[in-house]
Amino acid sequence: MKTSSSYTAIAYLFLAPALILMGIFTFWPVGFNTYLAFQDYSLADGTSTWNNFAHFKYIAGEELFHNALKNSVLYLLIVPVIQLSALIVAKLVNNKLPAMTFFRAVYYIPVITAISIAAVVWSNVYKYDGLLSWFLQALHILPQGQDGQIDWLGNPHIALYMVMLFTFWKGIGYYMVLYLAGLQAIPAEVEEAAILDGANVFQRFWKITVPMVKPTILLCTLLCTIAAMKAFQEVVVLTKGQSDTYTALFYVYDQGFGSNHNFGRAAAAGVVVTFFCMILAIIQFRFFGDKK
Amino acid sequence: MKLKRTLGLAAALFAATTMSAMAAEKVKIEFWSNSLSPKFDGIMKDLTAKFNGSQNEVEAKWVDVDWDAFQPRLVAAIAGGTVPDLVNLPKPWMDQYAQSKLLLPITKQIAGFKNNYTVGALKDVTYEGDKQIYGLPWYQVTGVLFYNKDLFAKSGVKEAPKNFTDLLKVAKQIKDKTGVTGFAPKLNDGFAGWFLYDGLPVVKDGKAVFNSPAHVKLVEQFADAYKSGVIPKDVFKLQFEQTIAAYGAQKVAIFGEGPHALKRTKTDSPKVYEQTGVAAFPQAGGKTPFGGYLFLWSVPKGAKHPDAAIKLGQFLTSDEAQLAFAKASATFPSTNKALADSFFQAGAKSNDPVEKALATAADSIKVTTTLTVSGLPDESAMNKKLDESIEAAVTGRKPAKQALDEAVAFWNEKFSAAKK
Repeated sequence: MKTSSSYTAIAYLFLAPALILMGIFTFWPVGFNTYLAFQDYSLADGTSTWNNFAHFKYIAGEELFHNALKNSVLYLLIVPVIQLSALIVAKLVNNKLPAMTFFRAVYYIPVITAISIAAVVWSNVYKYDGLLSWFLQALHILPQGQDGQIDWLGNPHIALYMVMLFTFWKGIGYYMVLYLAGLQAIPAEVEEAAILDGANVFQRFWKITVPMVKPTILLCTLLCTIAAMKAFQEVVVLTKGQSDTYTALFYVYDQGFGSNHNFGRAAAAGVVVTFFCMILAIIQFRFFGDKK
Repeated sequence: MKLKRTLGLAAALFAATTMSAMAAEKVKIEFWSNSLSPKFDGIMKDLTAKFNGSQNEVEAKWVDVDWDAFQPRLVAAIAGGTVPDLVNLPKPWMDQYAQSKLLLPITKQIAGFKNNYTVGALKDVTYEGDKQIYGLPWYQVTGVLFYNKDLFAKSGVKEAPKNFTDLLKVAKQIKDKTGVTGFAPKLNDGFAGWFLYDGLPVVKDGKAVFNSPAHVKLVEQFADAYKSGVIPKDVFKLQFEQTIAAYGAQKVAIFGEGPHALKRTKTDSPKVYEQTGVAAFPQAGGKTPFGGYLFLWSVPKGAKHPDAAIKLGQFLTSDEAQLAFAKASATFPSTNKALADSFFQAGAKSNDPVEKALATAADSIKVTTTLTVSGLPDESAMNKKLDESIEAAVTGRKPAKQALDEAVAFWNEKFSAAKK
């Protein structure tokens, strides 16, 4: 007969491989990063000395970091848009109609496309004489000729939103799959009963679908928020931080691996980004989490 | 007979064992080139084999690292203690790493042979901050003008521009007559180099000074060109490959680059290549063409075998090795003897654009310097501010004077903060 302590031991044994990997590749770097944030770290000789919050004081007064943080916070606008769209798309491809598998695959393809390849394509879409300008000119939304040719990634007023659109295209399929799993767990009888009661499509969506996929909404919103706060790759491949698209994580990268080689300051900025992510996560748990 | 065979086998075995033991004792060093693969695999493998063949104690392993990945990978390697012994850096990066003390000064080690290199190249590998040499000069490039002769003819342009103002005028004429963007200046790497090209100082006595009327006038010239469509709308994002592609697609009539750039046009757009004309990049107040760039070999801090690395660097930057590489890549060597080779002038009367470009560039390479500003206290933030201000001015979002005043004020704040 097995005792509860032997069950616990076995449970930890099963957890061990994941915990060891997470310890090495997640917890240790996070811990070391936090340590570095409070140190003057010399890349040249590997030494570090306590600096009395100097990095935090510096970035608190630095316009470049404030602007980067502002852009990252602005990036959060993508979260409700992508979540709502992903839920609607999931609802659409959850129908039992022909070719649904095809559509699910089509929406998922951007997720598995390498970001560098996708960026080459989208850079051409966003080029001033590229596909987007041509399309909007063809629809007569933009004036014809060179006046209607917009440098979508070069104009600081719109470039960040263009990068966000790229994130939307790249990410919607991922959340769609998660929502699809959530939707398929909803018993068909509930929806059928609502139809019998005379509920229309919108009523069924807001009163049945949304409440029943609430745990998935929490998960997806959380993942999407963290991803938006950490927006970096898309900025690197599309604009390299030009045209006011410099985000907080790009700042982290630029301080560490750019011309300054200041790992301590990069670490401090990283800690601030993590702090923001945690605050947002707490707020989201309050909104969407189960109230006990 | 049997004994003879046995003895022979034993001798062979002994020789093989000894050789492998000797090979095992060799110092193994790794050197990183910068974005040369796959185009120059042949010459790099050849040079590596020649070096290894000439050494009893050192064995070099060549690794090529892509341009975009180079800096993150090098910084990570230094932080992780797995440092390559020799790295191929462009001059501006050398300055940054020297400033952060991530390179070994090699002034003493190369004292015996430093006079092999040109004076300009030696100046480039000397970091202004401490006057120490941090690199062995390797290949260099300088800008020449490539232009589409067909578009020139259609626009009524008879000859290549002789100065920068003329260049912009010709580009405007082409734009007006053909609708094709006249000129693609290199602006994606920042604007400070253009000030230096025009002979205008960026920093003087520890203060930013790039808001004088002359600086403003230069920026306004670019702003006018941008407004009238003479330069591309996405000029601030146009990188090396994209500029060449735009020229190959006849979307741009003139661009300035090293002769090596046109090798791509030769393979990718042969028709445009055939109608390409070549001229020297016009000089301005800085008395140098725009587009000069020196690549060098440096020893990163933490390298386990610096002496062996310098030995390899000396080999790679020798007259013979530099000449071989320059011939393969349509670039220029940085040693006096190799640079004097008749190969570079051979194409002076050639109709082939690359050969002609080499001869044209050979004339201006001796006066070419890498146009860069180094030793800034917060290079990331300062360059970003300058680039953003220039972009705002050129694209017409801000008056040039206001944009430059703001950037100068920001730079001087950083300089003052660094002094405290």
